[in-house]
Amino acid sequence: MDFNLTEEQQMLQDMLSRLVRDHYSFEKRMSHYASQEGYSTAFWQQLAEQGLTGVPIDEAYGGFGGGGVENMLLMKELGRGLCLEPVLASQIFAAGLLQQLGNKEQKEKILPLVASGELKLAAALTETNSHYSLQHVACRARQQGDTWFLSGQKSVVVGGASADLLLVSARTAGEQGDPEGISLFLVEPWAKGVTRNAYPCIDGPRACDLLLDEVMVGRGGVLGKPGQVFTTLQYQQERAAAAACAEALGSMEEAFTLTLDYLKTRQQFGQPIGKFQALQHRMADMRGELELATSMTLLAASLADHPPSDERSRKLAASRFIITRAARFIAEQAIQLHGGIGMTWEYALAHHAKRLVMLSHHLGDEDTHLQRFADLLKAS
Amino acid sequence: MYFELTPEDEAFKNEVRGFLAEALPEDIASKVRLGKHLGKEDHQRWQQILAKKGWYAANWPQDYGGPGWSVVQKHIFEEEAAAAGAPRLVSFGVNMVAPVIMQFGTQEQKDYYLPRILSGEDWWCQGYSEPGAGSDLAAVKTRAVREGDFYVVDGQKTWTTLGQYANKIFCLVRTDPQAKPQQGITFLLIDMDSPGVSIRPILTLDGEHEVNEVFFDSVRVPVANRVGEENKGWTCAKYLLTHERTGQAGVGISKAALAHLKQVAGREMKNGKPLIEDPLFRLRLAEVEIQLLAVEISTLRILAAVEGGGAPGAESSILKIKGSEIRQAISQLLRQALGANALPFLQDQIDPDFTGEYRYTDYAAAAASQYFNLRKLSIYGGSNEVQKNIIAKMILEL
Amino acid sequence: MKILVGIKRVVDYNVKVRVKADQSGVDLTNVKMSMNPFCEIAVEEAVRLKEKGIATEIVAVSIGPKTAQEQLRTAMALGADRGILVETDEPLGSLAVAKILAKVAAEEQPQILMMGKQSIDTDNNQTTQMLAALTGYAQGTFASELTVAGDKATVKREIDGGLQTVELKLPAVISADLRLNEPRYAKLPDIMKAKKKPLDTKTPADYGVDTASKVKTLKVEPPAERAAGIKVGSVEELVNKLKNEAKVV
Repeated sequence: MDFNLTEEQQMLQDMLSRLVRDHYSFEKRMSHYASQEGYSTAFWQQLAEQGLTGVPIDEAYGGFGGGGVENMLLMKELGRGLCLEPVLASQIFAAGLLQQLGNKEQKEKILPLVASGELKLAAALTETNSHYSLQHVACRARQQGDTWFLSGQKSVVVGGASADLLLVSARTAGEQGDPEGISLFLVEPWAKGVTRNAYPCIDGPRACDLLLDEVMVGRGGVLGKPGQVFTTLQYQQERAAAAACAEALGSMEEAFTLTLDYLKTRQQFGQPIGKFQALQHRMADMRGELELATSMTLLAASLADHPPSDERSRKLAASRFIITRAARFIAEQAIQLHGGIGMTWEYALAHHAKRLVMLSHHLGDEDTHLQRFADLLKAS
Repeated sequence: MYFELTPEDEAFKNEVRGFLAEALPEDIASKVRLGKHLGKEDHQRWQQILAKKGWYAANWPQDYGGPGWSVVQKHIFEEEAAAAGAPRLVSFGVNMVAPVIMQFGTQEQKDYYLPRILSGEDWWCQGYSEPGAGSDLAAVKTRAVREGDFYVVDGQKTWTTLGQYANKIFCLVRTDPQAKPQQGITFLLIDMDSPGVSIRPILTLDGEHEVNEVFFDSVRVPVANRVGEENKGWTCAKYLLTHERTGQAGVGISKAALAHLKQVAGREMKNGKPLIEDPLFRLRLAEVEIQLLAVEISTLRILAAVEGGGAPGAESSILKIKGSEIRQAISQLLRQALGANALPFLQDQIDPDFTGEYRYTDYAAAAASQYFNLRKLSIYGGSNEVQKNIIAKMILEL
Repeated sequence: MKILVGIKRVVDYNVKVRVKADQSGVDLTNVKMSMNPFCEIAVEEAVRLKEKGIATEIVAVSIGPKTAQEQLRTAMALGADRGILVETDEPLGSLAVAKILAKVAAEEQPQILMMGKQSIDTDNNQTTQMLAALTGYAQGTFASELTVAGDKATVKREIDGGLQTVELKLPAVISADLRLNEPRYAKLPDIMKAKKKPLDTKTPADYGVDTASKVKTLKVEPPAERAAGIKVGSVEELVNKLKNEAKVV
């Protein structure tokens, strides 16, 4: 049992926290949000220069070969700054899929560009009616010789607005809900037949909807064994969810700190409002949730890159459940404790609160994770 | 970063498991599983078994006869013992008054009392709470007036757990009524058979006799029975409250209770299927199991910090709150699992010595009683609201 | 040219420190520790001199507990070539530190001894000056600009009310002020490389230095609490308040 970071991990964390603190003030964040790209290309460049875009990528492809703990450190600090860059969507989730499913040629061609930050990826897996399930795929791919033709729609692809290459799931066999028969394709967003409609999400990042109309994908664009990728999608989604826990934790810590500071400075009835027991108890409850969320984020980080097993899936679902619940609790309490100022667009807290609540809409909500845990519940 | 035990600790865990499998009497373990109260004899039998092995005073330093375990080993032992259905040790002697005597007592007190605790010769109870001093412990009013080599004690203590079995009581008494509440208190050791001590049972809402009122009517207590200085009793009380607080969450006990609940849910039927297959009940089970896992990991983090030289700070207040809530939630689900069969209240079937035939089944008899009994978890040892005050003050500095 | 950089492990500048209940010092349990910010500036300056081809080797040295090797690793991740930890659990006074550094300098024979102007924990601002006296090197304190050419260093010093430029004959002790440079962030690949760079561990006894201090800390107190500020709605309001409430204009 050892919860300490190694010296390198500690240095990574120090460097990250400074980088975010120095370059991602709330004011800057809001101007990045309002910019054309919806994030900071300069900060992305800086992440790349520091080697941070390569954290989750294998060393063989120019990355750092980091595991769950490194991803946790990365995402936690980015979460603290409410950073808008598609690190999780591209470098962790989509790149994870490519690393696991791609053949040598695909990986050698694409991953070094991803590691260096020159190419951004996004995984387009969900559809309007799929809720959070990866197996409800209506989008279809039909094969003709060596070429596949994709048709259908993909919905709310986070990070998809800025992606240079999309990983699109499509059905090559079976019926809409079957886990079998799902394949993954590399699609260039500017390919013929692709319509990309981008928009901002309420919690900050940009996403897009995709319309695919007979989009041609050659043999080199098929990832993994056609029809057999579902378990990998699930594995990588769980891995990304572990990193999302860390992102939420960073934001939770920040929201918690902002609220605590506010309780100590805001005066009403002639004293700081933190002197009132009703408010103290809410704050103590938040601290309790933060404690459990911290524990489960560490657990998730330690398991994220383990080989697939029910035990891993079960504990990752548990982590996500605790974090999602804690995130919403802290967001709601933080707004309540701030009162009116917590409702304003101009104050950082409100944006943390939105991120924390809407986090459950990325990669599965409380019920999704509770259900998954219950499905894998051990009877004794 | 890793969550696994070291090979040495893993080996220790196996040793503990082996011992428990062999030495824990099944009749006692079964009562614990079924949520029944234990008799004095049950407690004493288990204490003797542990004492013989040298594991009874697990928290004592080796010099005083403790096994010399690390923080992690103590934790492993507690978890494994709970999981196996061992009774939770009655801590008033071995884990409460003993550390105070070791820290603040005279050599004579150490020589006299500690061996008697180890051997089980003395059964201690706690004289802290009073009708007017619950969460606000410093409000104790029981008076002790110095007369030569004696204190004359007058007053009343309440909520004295298992006082009916005890021959000794450690008390917080007021020796200086003029001083600030915390400053006029003295820590006294009193024989329960002293003239003037009387005890009256309080029946709790489950119909059980677990707690008592203890009355002191001009009880003469030798000054030699005072621990620490006069008017410095609050220091002893505080030391006790901060001593060994890593086990606050009771994760092992909850794990055992959850395992029992799952077994029950596997046998109880709903819509012709075992309850554990009922989607709604299963989600409720899942939720409590997830929370228990989160509290377990948090406990490990605190342990690791303590092992690394830190002290369990106010974080243990968080674990106390979460741990008690989980334990109560499990008892709630157990009651719920039994449906209407939780209603019959047949007290003889809850009795530790019951050997007859159960109306329905053994696990149903005490389920509802236990649920009500466990409401105490969020009240005693500093109510959960007091814990939140501690968090606000110590961690949040509000 | 070899540069020796002294670095100190201190409480991170973002941490709000807390005084121990017995007022014997600052509570360091579970407190985040970092490299003293002025030492970071010193490291950065040394690295820049190496990048310009002026320096050939940078040796980082720290005096402190075993954990101070974290800060040495950070220095190596930023560009130092190797590290020396003089391990001691005693909190040392400036003179003891200067004596040890003088011995290290005697052994290493650097041309430049680069230091931070002061550490943010004790705020003494005297080790550089003591070190210069002990070694007999030239000294240039509070540097806000440094150029090195041949066997000379030109230091622009920040002094009260202005700047002073001095020329030093090497070897010299130079202390970095805030505006000397803006330290870089360690790059991830460099963090990984730092692990493989050599780090020697010594003790004050190895250098034959008596570290006993002649100064005793009697008491540490937190600063008085500042009253909460207010936000004013307009310039007029501000002027009005300054005039009538604060009575400063």
